[in-house]
Amino acid sequence: MWPFDAVNWLALSIPFAYLFILIGSLTVFSNLYRKRQAATAASLAPWFPPHLHRNIYLTLLHQENPKVPDSILKAALLRRATEDIHRIVQVRNAKQALQVLLQRGSVGDDLWQRFQRAEKEIEEELRDVVNEANAFAPNWGTTIFQSASEMAQNAHIRERLAEIQATAPAEKEWWEKRRTEISSNFMKELDEEKKSPTATEAASGKPAAKTGSDDDAVIVEAGGPTVNAGKGKKKKAKH
Amino acid sequence: MESPDTFTLLPLQIDPQTKAITATGTASNALTTELQILNTLHRSLLSVDTATGTPPPPVPVNPKRSAAISKLRESGNAEFRKHQYPSAVRMYSLAIDMALGRPAWEPSGLVREEVSGLLSNRAQAHMSMQNWAEGAVDAEASVEMKKVGNAKGWWRRGKCLFEMGRLEEAEVWVKQGLEFEATEQDLLQLKGEIEKRKGK
Repeated sequence: MWPFDAVNWLALSIPFAYLFILIGSLTVFSNLYRKRQAATAASLAPWFPPHLHRNIYLTLLHQENPKVPDSILKAALLRRATEDIHRIVQVRNAKQALQVLLQRGSVGDDLWQRFQRAEKEIEEELRDVVNEANAFAPNWGTTIFQSASEMAQNAHIRERLAEIQATAPAEKEWWEKRRTEISSNFMKELDEEKKSPTATEAASGKPAAKTGSDDDAVIVEAGGPTVNAGKGKKKKAKH
Repeated sequence: MESPDTFTLLPLQIDPQTKAITATGTASNALTTELQILNTLHRSLLSVDTATGTPPPPVPVNPKRSAAISKLRESGNAEFRKHQYPSAVRMYSLAIDMALGRPAWEPSGLVREEVSGLLSNRAQAHMSMQNWAEGAVDAEASVEMKKVGNAKGWWRRGKCLFEMGRLEEAEVWVKQGLEFEATEQDLLQLKGEIEKRKGK
C-alpha cells in the first residue's frame, strides 16, 4: 500500500501533537477563566444586608408545631413589604447616580454588577410578596404595597416628631435657668441703682468716659456688660 | 440577601396564650426589636374589621377617628378663646395623641396635616402662657410636619426665639420661613423687629 508506506509517521505526529497541545491548553485556560469569573461575580458582597423581615416571615411560615396563626403571618408579611419599600426606594435613588458615575469611570464595574444583582433580587422579592399576599386574601396583592408605603411614612413621621419633642425638656430647662439669671441680674441692677445712682450714671455715660482717664475706662468696662444685659432683661421681664 | 429559594431559619417560638412571637436563646438586638414591632403590629391588625383580616387600602379613611380629633380640636379652640390656656394645651395634646394613634396603614399625609395644625395651635397656647421654650419646640415640630402653607408655624417659632433673646437663631429661622412664605406680612414684620433689636 504505497501511500501509507511513503508516510513518515513520526514526522507527521509532530504537527498533530502541536495542534493538540495548543487547542487543549486554550480550552483548559478558557474553562478555568470562566469559572473564576463566575466565582468572583458570585462572591461580590451583596448590595443589601440579610433580609431579616423575610427570614422572620419564612421561619414563621414553615413552623409546624404549633402552627402559627394567619394573623401573625399577615403582620409579618406587612413588615416584610415595608422593608421592601425601603429597599426599592434605595435602589431607585441609587440608580441614576450610579449610572452617571459608571459613565465617568468613577466607580468600578463590580459595583455595577452588584447593583444589577440587587435590582433583580428586589424584583423577585416584590413578586413573591404579591403572590403571598394574594394567597392570604384575594386582591390583597394590589394594596399591600400601598399600605406598606404608608406604614413606612408613618413610622418616619413619628420618629421625627419624637426626636423634636425630646428636645423640649432641655430647652425648657435652659430657658428656666436663663430666666432666673435674667431676673436676678435685673434685681441686682435695680439695687445698685438705688444704692449709687452716680455710679450707674457714669457707666451709662460710656462714650464720654472713654476719652477720660484710665481709671474711668476700667470702671466702664466693669459696668458695661451688666448694664447692657440688664437692659435686655428689662424687656423680657415686661412680657 | 439570600437567593430567592433559600432563607435563614431563625430561632423563633410562639407563646400559645398571647400569640406573641419571641426569640429563643440569645437573639441579636435587631431581631428582638423587630419582633416587638411585629407583635405590636399584630395586635393592631387584630382590631381591623375587614372580612379578610388584612388592612384596608389607605383610602377611604375611617371617619370615626377624624371626627374625634376635630371635636377635641374644637374644644381646645373654645378653651383658648376663654383664655383657659392650660386646659387648651391639654385638649390639643389629647388630639395630637389621637392623631398619632391612627393605625399605621392610614394615609401619612393626613396625619401630617392634622398634627401640624394641632401642634401649631398648641404652640400658640404655650405662647399665650409665655412658655416660650415649649412653644418654640411645638412650632418647630409643626413646621417639620408641613413646611409649605404653614406661615403661622414659622412665625410662632421665630417669635418664641425672639422672645427668648436668641436673635441669631430667630433670624436664620425667619429667613428660612420667608423662602417658603415670601409674602407673609407677619414674618416680614418679625424680621424687621429682629433686625431692629440686633442693631441696638
